[in-house]
Amino acid sequence: MTTYTICIFTENTFGLLNKITIIFTRRRVNIESLTVSETERKGVSRYTITIKHDKREEVEKLVRQIRKVIEVLAVFGYLDDEIVYNEIALFKIATPSGGKPIDIETINKVYKAWVVYWGLDYVVIEKAGNENEILDFFRYIKSYGILEFVKSGRVAVGKAPNGLVEFLPEEAHWEYYV
Amino acid sequence: MGNYMTMVAAQDAAALEEVKNEVTPTLPFKAPEPMSGAQALMEALIAEGTEVIFGYPGGAIMPTYDALFDYMDRLDHILVRHEQGAGHAAQGYARTSGKPGVCLVTSGPGGTNLVTPIADAIIDCTPLVCIIGQVKSTLLGTDAFQETDIIGVTTPVCKWNYQITNPDEVPEVMAKAFYIAKSGKPGPVVIDFTRDAQISKMTKEYQYKKLDGLFSYKPRIVPKDEHLEKAAQLINNAKKPYILFGHGVLISEAMEELKAFAEKTDIPCASTLLGLSAMPIDHPNYVGWLGMHGNYGPNVLTNQADVIIAIGMRFDDRVTGDATKYIKQAKVVHIEIDPSEIDKIIKADAPVVGDAKEVLKRLLPLVKANNHSTWRNEFKKYDVIENQKVTERELKPEGEIKMAEVVRMLSQKTNGEACIIADVGQHQMIAARYYQFKNPHSYIASGGLGTMGFAIPASFGAKKGAPDREVVAFIGDGCFQMTIQELGTIAQSGLAVKLVILNNNYLGMVRQWQQLFFEKRYSFVELQNPDFVTIAKGFGIAGHTCSDRENLSDSLDTLLKSDKAYLLEVIVEKEENVFPMVPSGASVTDIRLD
Repeated sequence: MTTYTICIFTENTFGLLNKITIIFTRRRVNIESLTVSETERKGVSRYTITIKHDKREEVEKLVRQIRKVIEVLAVFGYLDDEIVYNEIALFKIATPSGGKPIDIETINKVYKAWVVYWGLDYVVIEKAGNENEILDFFRYIKSYGILEFVKSGRVAVGKAPNGLVEFLPEEAHWEYYV
Repeated sequence: MGNYMTMVAAQDAAALEEVKNEVTPTLPFKAPEPMSGAQALMEALIAEGTEVIFGYPGGAIMPTYDALFDYMDRLDHILVRHEQGAGHAAQGYARTSGKPGVCLVTSGPGGTNLVTPIADAIIDCTPLVCIIGQVKSTLLGTDAFQETDIIGVTTPVCKWNYQITNPDEVPEVMAKAFYIAKSGKPGPVVIDFTRDAQISKMTKEYQYKKLDGLFSYKPRIVPKDEHLEKAAQLINNAKKPYILFGHGVLISEAMEELKAFAEKTDIPCASTLLGLSAMPIDHPNYVGWLGMHGNYGPNVLTNQADVIIAIGMRFDDRVTGDATKYIKQAKVVHIEIDPSEIDKIIKADAPVVGDAKEVLKRLLPLVKANNHSTWRNEFKKYDVIENQKVTERELKPEGEIKMAEVVRMLSQKTNGEACIIADVGQHQMIAARYYQFKNPHSYIASGGLGTMGFAIPASFGAKKGAPDREVVAFIGDGCFQMTIQELGTIAQSGLAVKLVILNNNYLGMVRQWQQLFFEKRYSFVELQNPDFVTIAKGFGIAGHTCSDRENLSDSLDTLLKSDKAYLLEVIVEKEENVFPMVPSGASVTDIRLD
């Protein structure tokens, strides 16, 4: 199974998430992660969806089916080596008095993670990175006692020199964010 | 002394007149009363050239029906008996008129009853604009009376849907709806119209602007030159080229272009089920139709051609049989308006994305005039075998009446010029096989979805779209009972459609499969049928039954001569099978003749 990252640019309208996800479910493709955000152009949303699939041509068909949704402006499918990608994770770690103190230096320097909130008897650590980096940190911090762990979906930009919004329909006069 | 009162009145009148004359020209311009959402919808429908609405009123759509009352002189409305009927009728209308069919139904069950026609329309590329009422926007999500999440329900089966909650949105959304429905690969769009948006007034002036493209959606009409060149090169070098054309040719009205292209290149052409009638049956390049029950030669020879030119067709599994054993030897030119169809089933060596008409027009000067008569004659050899083994047997006037005889006789009596509506099953295949189509847009059936019950509503819809044509529907006894209530619509609307029930007291196609592939274990396929003619009479439609071969010709004459709707029930052979047949999952080469 190969991981594919599908970037979808859409108009920002109601109910579009459903219109996109049913294309995956109808073909029995499981969505591994999904992130929706605004883009540098106003009114344009960007979906980053990761899936695992063993047939490239099926993924290509899927991409074309997504493009068929009226509100979709452009769709791009990528292999991992064609993109720069990251996720973000938050760890809520117990720090009871008398317990094992957390090692801030290792967390910062080795794992490139930061404490973003100090509670009375817990801390919240933010770790950004790819799946493996987050997993490594997870393994390290586990022994301190994880109260909560949450991870975002993947966000990714292509390695091509130009921006993806340049592929959007020319006729569109989207307002740029300043 | 005159009548004082009269004098005063006259004076007043004069004074009033004077005041009027003085004041009227200087009156400030009075803005027209703002339109309600429902009124705006009516105006939008008229602006898009809508002639007729197929609909059924109910609670949540009542404000729109109230507005329609004022537009009766400009918008015809056909009151169906069930919303499914409205949908299929709109499909029939769209298929003969070329315009989007418009449906108007209420929320909840009204909308869900329309889902089958919407699913049928998306797979058969039929333009529909379905306006469905919805509860007040403040009640959305509260399980209000007749509330269904129709956007959620229809999303997987429609081309586009939108919920209108503000009357100001109506003009823009309707322009979008019509553009999306009829452009590119046509399809159904759903407008979910909340009750409050129908009632409340617009806050801005009504202005309507038709669309010819959207930012996110503007299908390619004109093909790319490099695509054309590559396609032309393959076609010019081909020894055994073969054109497979489909519904796309009819949708883009590319019949003449196809003919010119086929004549110049001398390539044999075969049709898919929905492409039928795009080429007249007697055209020298036309070799027959493809698919599970298509002709012998056209199916077998697909696996001998060296270049396949697919035009406006999508390699449906009923056409390809086992796709892994389909045209492996051939290079494929795929002419298609929808890019997602390219490589979906069959890998294209030369894809050409564009409108069939434009593509063929531009391809014509690039292809060489050619002579493929030897290759074309191959098809004739297979025709001889098919004739001997299937056609002659089915048309032989022996034993009980066969469906094929009825269709062929009607074909002769109508000179191949009628518009044939078929329901789904054996009679659908027989109608496709034995009617000798001369004019385009003459075979209307539910192809992709195979919706039983399609024909009765589609027939009066088709008649509405082509009032000058003879519209004849072939319907099985099973199908007839799925939308039998629409006989009432036919009677009330006065549309003179001719209905032919080919009655074998079986769900014939299922029975055929059970016979051939399930060891004749007839599991729930025999029907106890009502007296169809009496039922029709109850609805106010004349009809009679024909069970003897001697009466068949006269019966068809009676049917065709009637100037009103007419029902002819023909009792046909009970266990007739449709051949040729490519068994499900087999290769087209393994087509069976008996």
